[in-house]
Amino acid sequence: MRSPGDPMVPDDVAWSAVSPRLALGRRIVACGSLLVLAIAVVVVAGVAGSPIAFLGALVPLALAGWVWWLIGRQVAAIAYAERDDDLLVRRGVMFRSLAVVPYGRMQFVDVEAGPLDRALGIARVQLHTAAARSDASIPGLAPDQAATLRARLARRGEARLAGL
Amino acid sequence: MTTEAASTIPGRTPTDGEWRPLHPLTPFVRGWKVVAAALVVVGQQRGGDLAQRGLPSRTEALITLAAIAALALLAGGYALLAWRRARYRVDADVLQLRTGVLFRQERQAPLDRLQAVDVVRPLLARFFGLAELSLEVAGSGDSSIRLSLLREADAQALRSTLLARAAGLAYEGDVAPEAPEHEVLTVPVARTVESLLRNGSMLVGLLLLIGTVVAAVVLGSPAPLVGLLPIGFTVVSVVWTRFTGGFGFRVATSPDGVRLHHGLLTTRSQTVPPGRVQAVRMRQPLLWRGRDWWRVEVNVAGYGGGRNRDEGAVEENLLLTVGTRAEALMVVGLALPELAAAADIGIDVVAAGLTGRGSQGGFTSSPRGARWLDPIGWRRHGVLVTRAVLLARRGVLVRELDLVPHARTQSLALLQGPLQRRLGLASFAVHSTRGPVRPSVQHLPADVAAALLHQQAERAMSARADSTHDGRWMMGR
Repeated sequence: MRSPGDPMVPDDVAWSAVSPRLALGRRIVACGSLLVLAIAVVVVAGVAGSPIAFLGALVPLALAGWVWWLIGRQVAAIAYAERDDDLLVRRGVMFRSLAVVPYGRMQFVDVEAGPLDRALGIARVQLHTAAARSDASIPGLAPDQAATLRARLARRGEARLAGL
Repeated sequence: MTTEAASTIPGRTPTDGEWRPLHPLTPFVRGWKVVAAALVVVGQQRGGDLAQRGLPSRTEALITLAAIAALALLAGGYALLAWRRARYRVDADVLQLRTGVLFRQERQAPLDRLQAVDVVRPLLARFFGLAELSLEVAGSGDSSIRLSLLREADAQALRSTLLARAAGLAYEGDVAPEAPEHEVLTVPVARTVESLLRNGSMLVGLLLLIGTVVAAVVLGSPAPLVGLLPIGFTVVSVVWTRFTGGFGFRVATSPDGVRLHHGLLTTRSQTVPPGRVQAVRMRQPLLWRGRDWWRVEVNVAGYGGGRNRDEGAVEENLLLTVGTRAEALMVVGLALPELAAAADIGIDVVAAGLTGRGSQGGFTSSPRGARWLDPIGWRRHGVLVTRAVLLARRGVLVRELDLVPHARTQSLALLQGPLQRRLGLASFAVHSTRGPVRPSVQHLPADVAAALLHQQAERAMSARADSTHDGRWMMGR
């Protein structure tokens, strides 16, 4: 079973990426709040009448640029693969993780979508096992894709469910 | 026995499928708790004043008493209402409990998903011969059902009946006979006390106390001692809780599963049926090393969730408060019958995992590169996979060994930080149900960890496929 290449990214399975709209959603939230901060700094600087303080606005702007780039990389790193008996979910660029969730261990599967998610047309599939720590979720799926994935996972889970 | 008494009186069996109330003394016992809490608060508030201002005036005392009486009336009234609404019933497959004064709740526990049954006797309830029956069913969050309070005999009878029905065991009459119990081990009180003293914070506390006493004597004033009082109070209460919780810890076996009895004031009898233990951790704090004592903690689905978080989660999850190595290994053997069933490893291998380092005992350990990340403990990080159980070893100062049966593996994960990536390492984690045991192995070679992840997923699957311990464990025996 040892795969050549990077052990954190087994290449003997078909990985599915998530929608880049997820990156857009996260960027709107993160960069938006930084932008608000930058504007606040500009307003304060204007009121104080100190030209140096305007430079302070550059900090959140630079941060926003970095976050923009980072989110792109992070979302690109999220991927999942359905194997015969379990689901693989991988994420992270610096701190990488690869989770294996056996279908037989899934207690139930949720599909979640917040208001921004709905506006962007994405949803999150959340898998629940009896373990509190197995954080297996796949964000950034198209709603119909999420629904079919949930149905498929639930069907496979039922076929293989083996108590606790 | 008590079960006979319960079954000979028609209509008194607690398991005939009828809706029945809890014991009529319940509101008194439960309402009393609120009053006791109020008394403690008043005592703490007024105790400080007493030293400075002397006895309170008559009106002040009357007002306080009246407030306490009003509170008692209120608490008692609410408890009475709650008792009148509470009804439970048991039939062949489920236990149901209806509760709630304002917000009604009906809970249902499918017996084939039963994870553990506890009979808890709080101090006051013991005076009246009452007990609380607490059932854990697999579920997320607070999934336990508490029947509080029942006659002790009823609680015992109900426990054996629930366990028998959960096991799929046939019996005559309405109430199953109590399963015979075989006691295997008792923790002596002296050892409990010594284990509490052999504790880092305890030693620091003692040194602090000695220092303050010396300071007080030198200064000739009790001021430093008074300053120490709040800390002393906290330490004493923590130690007291541990002492009373673990007092008289007894481990027994029965066909129902592992039985644990413990407690000084509030006594608790836990029954964990076979195959319900999700993971085991053996732990040795630094100061226990001289005695070679070990503590054994377990994850059982339902234990340590919801309400239990503040109420003795540690206590519930203990399989052995303190024991010698031989005792600890025996208890682990009881909790994980898989360990003995798989003939490929003896208990020796487990023993090797307790203290071994590097590749001792056949463990796969961290490579040399890991010393950059964990200069002290890198040799202790190790993993061993046997036919039925995964063993994860760690810790130089505080030694730990986690055991997870393959059939109880929930999900798995591989984690890798930037430094680990540079060094070609990865950490491997097994996800178990909520509890003190969080099995993981740090800093394995990345390719070994990846191979382990996939092999373990397959092993977990095949182990589940032929696991006989799920659901009704006496069926087909």
